[in-house]
Amino acid sequence: MNFARRFCRHPGAVIGLVVLILVIAMALLAPILFPGSPWDMAGAPFEPPGEDGMLLGTDSLGRDVAAGIAYGARVSLLVGAVSTVVSLFIGVALGAIAGYLGGLVDDLVMRFTEFFQTIPSFVLAILLVAIFTPSISSIIAAIAVVSWPPVARVVRAEFMSLRSREFVQAAQVLGKRPLGIVLTDILPNALSPIIVLASLMTASAILLESSLSFLGLGDPNLMSWGFLIGSGRSVIRLAWWMSVFPGLAIFATVLALNLVGEGLSDALNPRLRKRGAKP
Amino acid sequence: MHPNPWLLTRRHLLATAGAAPLLLSASAARAQGITPRRGGVLNIILNPEPPLLQIGVNNQTPTLICGTKMTQGLLKFSPTLEPLPELAKSWTISPDGLGYVFSLQDNVKWHDGQPFTADDVIFSVMTFNKEIAPRLRGVLAGIAECTAPDPHTVRFVLKQAFQPFLLCFDATAIPMVAKHVYDGTDFRTNPANSHPIGTGPFRFVEWQRGNFVRMERFPDYWKPGEPYLDGILWRVIPDGQSRRLAVETGQVQMSTATDIEPFDVPALRSAPNLDVTTKGWEYFSPLFWFEPNHRVPLFADKRVRRAMSMALDRNFIVQRLWFGLGKAATGPVSSTTRFYDPNAKLPTLDLAAATNLLDEAGLKPNAQGIRGSFKHLIPPYGEIWNRMGEYFRQAMAKIGFEVTLESTDAGTWASRVANWDYETTSNVLYQYGDPTLGVERSYVTSNIQKILFTNTSGYSNPKVDELFAAARLGATVEARQKAFNEVQELLVEDMPLLWVVEVAYPTITDKHLHNVIQLGTGDHACFDDVFLSA
Amino acid sequence: MDISSLLRFLLRRIIKSVLVVIAIVICNFLLIHAAPGDPATVMAGQSGSADPQFMAQLRHQFGLDLPLYEQLWIYLKGVLTLDLGFSHRMQVSVASLLLDRLPATLLLTGTSFVIAIVGGVTLGALAARRVGHWSDSAITVVALAFYATPLFWVGLMLVLLFSVKLEWLPSFGMSDPGSNLHGIALAWDICQHLVLPSLTLGLFYLAVYARLTRATMLEVLSQDFVKTARAKGVPESRVISVHVLRNALLPVITFAGIQAGQLIGGSILVETVFAWPGIGRLAFEALLARDYQVLMGVFFCTSVVVVIFNLLTDLLYAVVDPRVEVST
Repeated sequence: MNFARRFCRHPGAVIGLVVLILVIAMALLAPILFPGSPWDMAGAPFEPPGEDGMLLGTDSLGRDVAAGIAYGARVSLLVGAVSTVVSLFIGVALGAIAGYLGGLVDDLVMRFTEFFQTIPSFVLAILLVAIFTPSISSIIAAIAVVSWPPVARVVRAEFMSLRSREFVQAAQVLGKRPLGIVLTDILPNALSPIIVLASLMTASAILLESSLSFLGLGDPNLMSWGFLIGSGRSVIRLAWWMSVFPGLAIFATVLALNLVGEGLSDALNPRLRKRGAKP
Repeated sequence: MHPNPWLLTRRHLLATAGAAPLLLSASAARAQGITPRRGGVLNIILNPEPPLLQIGVNNQTPTLICGTKMTQGLLKFSPTLEPLPELAKSWTISPDGLGYVFSLQDNVKWHDGQPFTADDVIFSVMTFNKEIAPRLRGVLAGIAECTAPDPHTVRFVLKQAFQPFLLCFDATAIPMVAKHVYDGTDFRTNPANSHPIGTGPFRFVEWQRGNFVRMERFPDYWKPGEPYLDGILWRVIPDGQSRRLAVETGQVQMSTATDIEPFDVPALRSAPNLDVTTKGWEYFSPLFWFEPNHRVPLFADKRVRRAMSMALDRNFIVQRLWFGLGKAATGPVSSTTRFYDPNAKLPTLDLAAATNLLDEAGLKPNAQGIRGSFKHLIPPYGEIWNRMGEYFRQAMAKIGFEVTLESTDAGTWASRVANWDYETTSNVLYQYGDPTLGVERSYVTSNIQKILFTNTSGYSNPKVDELFAAARLGATVEARQKAFNEVQELLVEDMPLLWVVEVAYPTITDKHLHNVIQLGTGDHACFDDVFLSA
Repeated sequence: MDISSLLRFLLRRIIKSVLVVIAIVICNFLLIHAAPGDPATVMAGQSGSADPQFMAQLRHQFGLDLPLYEQLWIYLKGVLTLDLGFSHRMQVSVASLLLDRLPATLLLTGTSFVIAIVGGVTLGALAARRVGHWSDSAITVVALAFYATPLFWVGLMLVLLFSVKLEWLPSFGMSDPGSNLHGIALAWDICQHLVLPSLTLGLFYLAVYARLTRATMLEVLSQDFVKTARAKGVPESRVISVHVLRNALLPVITFAGIQAGQLIGGSILVETVFAWPGIGRLAFEALLARDYQVLMGVFFCTSVVVVIFNLLTDLLYAVVDPRVEVST
């Protein structure tokens, strides 16, 4: 279990993993910890933390902030995970095509990628969500669309270096179809940077989602952490707990994901150069 | 011919026509014996920043509040909606109710020095407002004749007696604009829209977009000695918390309407340097409601609508969501509007009765307790609307309805509601002092159009149409009151809309500021006798 | 490299940049017009009245009743002459609106960028020098912490601490409008207002650069030529500043180029929290009001800024790294 040992050499990564597991557990156990809906007006409005059985206080409608954070974990993690997966699909596909085929195709894909990276990604995300009206699907789509360029670059670089390796050339000589070579020979070897990237991208997807919700472009039916901070922003002087606690939740989760990402990076390939390719 | 009590009031006022100075000192005396002090600049919030400052071309609240300091109307209205002189110093109404003669104030000048005459009034009413103000187009179309026997007199002859006619002459409804500035131009793109030329106590100086609008005292204002303020600085502050800070720290001395969010008001009420009042909305009487689209089969049944109304805890809403800024609505007409019928009352909060009604209507709960589901489109006008939408969803959940919220931006909301492309939404509409002017438009069949603020819900009841028509054309107060009483009881029974709150926006002023809220139009007054004490 | 090849490189990149900007403009045009609703509906709704003839009139006025490709062509023609259109909502030309607000954003992002680069590189270099030491761990942890926190939350927390509780710094706006300050007094007032927003925006990127610098420095420090320099007896400070830093800074410069776009995007959040009168906030308001001309103007503006920035960093890269071939 070389991998596990290398991972555990990183105390930060271990802490991150523990925190991540706790957050996921909270998300899964939310209905048990806080029965009912987080939207229920359970208490008096603006109750400070600790009063009336409300561990983290209540918001402007008397809703339990702690329940909101627990259920919010589900949304934030879901959005983070799904948008990362979609983004990976796009990025891996484009990067693989560019890296494997090279030449003109590579040029075109790279121009396209550069072009995408020139548009401020957050502005583009806002534009997309606003145009297609805020809902969980439009948010996931928007985040995916602005996050794929770094994936494409990394995958392309890996493919380009792997393409000239012997086992790939052997497969080509054997007459294997290109798609087969890509899927069964190259991709598994390019997996390590992709996995590391996935962890980091999930973190930034969560940040992006919270920023969108904060600006009022979130799905109004979903209690996400960004929504909580957004609704708490205007009352920050009345109820600081509405902004502080969800923010801490985001901070802890994003931090954990980053630490895990670093741990994975070291564990999967100790000599892997970090390309600083964060979206 | 029976004596018309409204006419009596007019004649009484006529007798005291020369009493303009009397009224002036009356308001000064009202300031508890403090002598008005000349000088000082009033800093006030302007939010959101309007695109234009000319009333009529733009009728959003910030334009109205800001513009009324420069642009005036023929009349202004007291808190009980009695007409008071503004640019018209006196008026008479013929016994048959068809003829109105306004006598204009003397020595009124436009900000560019030109004299204000009857020609300006005729132009403003018959040309300018007729073209750009859809709300009053119907009323203005009822004017058969508009003439100027002399430069200081304007004569209107109506095709039919129209009781609420005078109510239309507030600055916010029919503003007076300069003929020599607007005649022959495209009203909507006239550059004066960004630097209005009016007759008001303050004239425009500069507008730094995104920052402020500056006005200064108009030295040739027609009331000698006024205005007391040297000028007004309208500060654009887009962020809600920043606005609150500005008021608390004294950077601005006044906030109006929706500048300060309801949840901030309690803290400001207890601030030692501030005054908070909810007076001054009697003329507009904004009424908040949830609006079901009657084209959705679910809402065609009045039992469903009544059940939904019975699930709303209006007191909770007023106290918790609006922080006491208003009162629970009791029907389609606000208690501060004329001809309000206190006997027409909504059914009280009763979840059991509501679910019974739904059972009767054939909406039985399924295995999860859901009787039906629909969407709610939230207008993008601020936090309070989001909270109302969230409350609505929770309240409907209690009677078995699953509500999905839709959030959108201003343009999309406006276009969807106008095109009837919604299931439920919420709205706030002004009543303008008389149900014929502000209430009728939401319930009559003839006003079902693909335009905002008409009968967008699609409600149609011939008896209601009949009653509103009778009230509109009624020659006497008694006849109109009778028709209005009947229609209010009928509407409360039919429940086409779910009326929730009679909103009363807070006006927050520094204690050194005086004479701010004196009229039924509150902040929309021209502020010529507002002053800052030392 | 010689001047002529540098100039050729510059020319090629400029042409490429212009093409990129035009492509962005076209894409934004199509994207924005894909949105439901148009300026006419918004204006009609906002003016409290919305009859069909008024809306038709507005549409004709805005040229919205023309076919899409015609509208695009008209716009492109205008852009090439720097006529970015007219905002009917605000009744001013888009160019003047942008000129009005761009300096505020540039001030904010510029200051944040300087804070980020200077602070980040310094901290990163320090951490790399003392790798394994507790100060290295401390810096790494703090950097990670700032990297993980949402921008707007940091802003809110700073406001809560410094404006609300301590009352040391103002919490909104760029300056005090009513106070009519000039010259030094105005500059000082702006500086005070600038502290919190630029810190908010800068801290995030400071963390990024700190981590990046540390990583690249560590890598370079382990390379052969450094060992050789040390063996040759070159003083440590010279080793660091001349050999290590110069090579380690290359990825930082590249990254800074990429970050330019993100910085402008991040400014939207900061400008919202602090009511900073810049183009980020302008873009957001224009988006909500479907003010197409302003939106496209902002996009044009930001892409030009980003492209120029990328050009500069490419040049800097070429100058700093002798190994880079100028013929790309």
